[in-house]
Amino acid sequence: MARKWQKSTPIAASIAVAVLCALGAGANVFAAANSDQSNVGSKPPPVQFPAKFGALSFPEKFPAGTSLSITQWSHFVPSYDKWFDAYARQWGVENNVKVTVQHISYADLNSTLAAAIAAHNGPTLMQMNATPAAFIQGLQPLNDINEAAKTVYGTGVEPCTHQTYLPVKQEWYGYCEGWVVDPGDYRISLWKAAGYPQGPTTYDDLLKGGQAIYQKTGIPVGVGMSPEIDSEFYARSLIWSFGGQVQDACGNVMLNSPQVIDAVKYQAKLFHAAETPEVFSWNAASNNQAFVSGRASYIQNSISFYRTAQDSNAKVASDTGFRPGLKGPTGAVHQTAHVWFIYVLPNYVTDKNQIAAAKKFLLDLTANYASDTYYSKLYDFPAYPPTVPELAQKGGWIDHDPWGSNPPDKLSVLRGALDWTAWLGYPGYADPATSEVYNTFLLSTMMAQAARGEKTPEQAVKDTAAQVQQIAEKWKRLGYVGCGQHAASKD
Amino acid sequence: MAGGNAGGGHRSPSEPSERIGIADRDGVVGVIMLAPAVIYVLALVAIPFLLAIALSLSDATVGNPGIHHFVGLANFISVVREAAFVFALRNSIIITAATLVLLTILTILQVELLARNFTGKRIAEILLILPWAMPVALAAVGWLWLLDSEFSPIDWILRAVGLLGPGTPLGPANNLYYLGREWLGIGAVVVINVWRTLPLSTIIVLAGRTAIPNELFEQAELDGAGYFRTLLQITLPALGTLLIVAILFTVLVIFGDMTVVALTTRGGPGYTTEILPYWAYLKGIQGGALSQGAAIALFLFPVLLAASILALRMAYRSEGQ
Repeated sequence: MARKWQKSTPIAASIAVAVLCALGAGANVFAAANSDQSNVGSKPPPVQFPAKFGALSFPEKFPAGTSLSITQWSHFVPSYDKWFDAYARQWGVENNVKVTVQHISYADLNSTLAAAIAAHNGPTLMQMNATPAAFIQGLQPLNDINEAAKTVYGTGVEPCTHQTYLPVKQEWYGYCEGWVVDPGDYRISLWKAAGYPQGPTTYDDLLKGGQAIYQKTGIPVGVGMSPEIDSEFYARSLIWSFGGQVQDACGNVMLNSPQVIDAVKYQAKLFHAAETPEVFSWNAASNNQAFVSGRASYIQNSISFYRTAQDSNAKVASDTGFRPGLKGPTGAVHQTAHVWFIYVLPNYVTDKNQIAAAKKFLLDLTANYASDTYYSKLYDFPAYPPTVPELAQKGGWIDHDPWGSNPPDKLSVLRGALDWTAWLGYPGYADPATSEVYNTFLLSTMMAQAARGEKTPEQAVKDTAAQVQQIAEKWKRLGYVGCGQHAASKD
Repeated sequence: MAGGNAGGGHRSPSEPSERIGIADRDGVVGVIMLAPAVIYVLALVAIPFLLAIALSLSDATVGNPGIHHFVGLANFISVVREAAFVFALRNSIIITAATLVLLTILTILQVELLARNFTGKRIAEILLILPWAMPVALAAVGWLWLLDSEFSPIDWILRAVGLLGPGTPLGPANNLYYLGREWLGIGAVVVINVWRTLPLSTIIVLAGRTAIPNELFEQAELDGAGYFRTLLQITLPALGTLLIVAILFTVLVIFGDMTVVALTTRGGPGYTTEILPYWAYLKGIQGGALSQGAAIALFLFPVLLAASILALRMAYRSEGQ
């Protein structure tokens, strides 16, 4: 029946790929996207909207009256939103679906989804920027499309799969389209003058070099300890690189350890040596602004600030260097991914055509992720790397930035990012407790308490561990924390 | 009986009693007149309040906001044990009290100013009312700029007059980092609260001030009373009820509001500027622990109830005198 999409007999991945190629719609979305793309090098292939993904098949055209509303966070590279809106419109025309897209601030995502679930009414799809595990009870399982994508493109990358799958329930509660690399960003001239021509490579370098730069120039290090997402990412990167853990692979709380205490001690020392109290009041844009305005020697952030600087402060852009995450005392490097593109389908969406359209939209976006990555100016990295071969291949976009980096391979550090990128819930999967700990900013608060001398590092870690433990136990009682079958082993 | 003789002069006693319309029935009219208020209170106060109590006793989450399973007082015990609770309770009280004190003083000063005639009074009135008319988002941008850690114009002025920077009384740093320090952060929240609530309290109290007969002030002047004697013995006693209304309104607005903290400090550094409403939002909506968020929010209730009862009693006492 044409109104319904259905599972068909599983087919081999190779056949599916062939189908993808054969059914290319050949649409030209990027013509409608931006006007500032005259010199942007090799472009992605035209978008295509296949009707079949692995075991899932969809109608060529959805029945009249089918609609799809999408609410997603305003992209940190603003021009991307123009491309996405044009893409969604074209997808709607090609699939006979009325598509509406609403962009909201990333800070409003949780409250918007919470309100929609409580009201049993809201957007068909919501895109979250970190694991939505705390909402799992109000979300539809998306096992079918995750498995279809795996069949067609292979296993997704861990920073994505581990933010959307819950082993203890064996459930995919979200569909991750992509993720963002979070490199270390340093001012080349300042660090060169301080004796670190390649920038800091270890946390010890950051302390010594950052202090020297601060004493000589008054320009501080810019890693935050504020209730906001960048500070939370930094706190985790520091803890993991010092050999500590927040939780283990089964969700057991591991925070109260000598390694975590050492990490907190380090951060307190860094604050007193090379930072100012402004880092306690930062929001997610503050470290970007500090760096672009020349008021920070080092930050840990995605490349969005760099894209801004390319337009607004070319001098800072050319003086910006990128590093992989910093090495801890044992040489370990674990940098948290910097936000994600995770779609969820709430339980209140019950119309079968709408559900089918939503799932097809998500799989089509994966199929066209080369365009997504390109028009995000290489900000969005794919959950399924085979969808964007242009990105990391020799002579590809990372080697020759189509968006005008000088030198062209300035972003080459991004190529190996999967080797040093971790995720919320590392080394296991994000669960609802992980999500609650992250969203209530417990770890950045712990760092701030120790840095301000409000508590000793030992006490700050002990108290925070007790809070995390209480959260984990609550979700464990509800059955959402524990071990289970891993995503990679699940077919 | 009501309505029995309405228009009776045109009707003989033998005629059957005239039709009584709905408008003639006191009971019905009373119910109709009261209905909007009752519906409003039930829909927007009573039901949400009862729902909040039920949520706080349950294990509801943002993903499953239905009340299926009760857990007793576990949520209350859990939130009270958290370090953030003490800070949130303390700061809610301090911020409200400090705002009240500052607001009362400034309201009286502003009312005394506007009660007089002077050149440019209209412009002054517009400027004084402006914060009330300004959209919150726009106001937030302005305040965040004023309190910026690097580019604050307040810091710039302090540096220019030699009060801030190396070797100065407020130095050695070049900035004060208003939102990155505990008491400066709390102070900033108080100042912004006063700024945004001052226009309304001024309008409320000014209405009372202009209603005081001028003869009283003229008589006091003839009797040789000075400004402060007139203020303390005539103006303030006459404004008592309206001041209490303004104070009550301010307590209700400030104690239960999270906007300013959400836009400025977000509870940091650490939990040192945390307040109950923002913590309830952070925990319940952002974090997903809906039942714990409801439990935190309910800690606002006794304070608001006590403040309301106290203020109303004082108002009635004042009227009786």
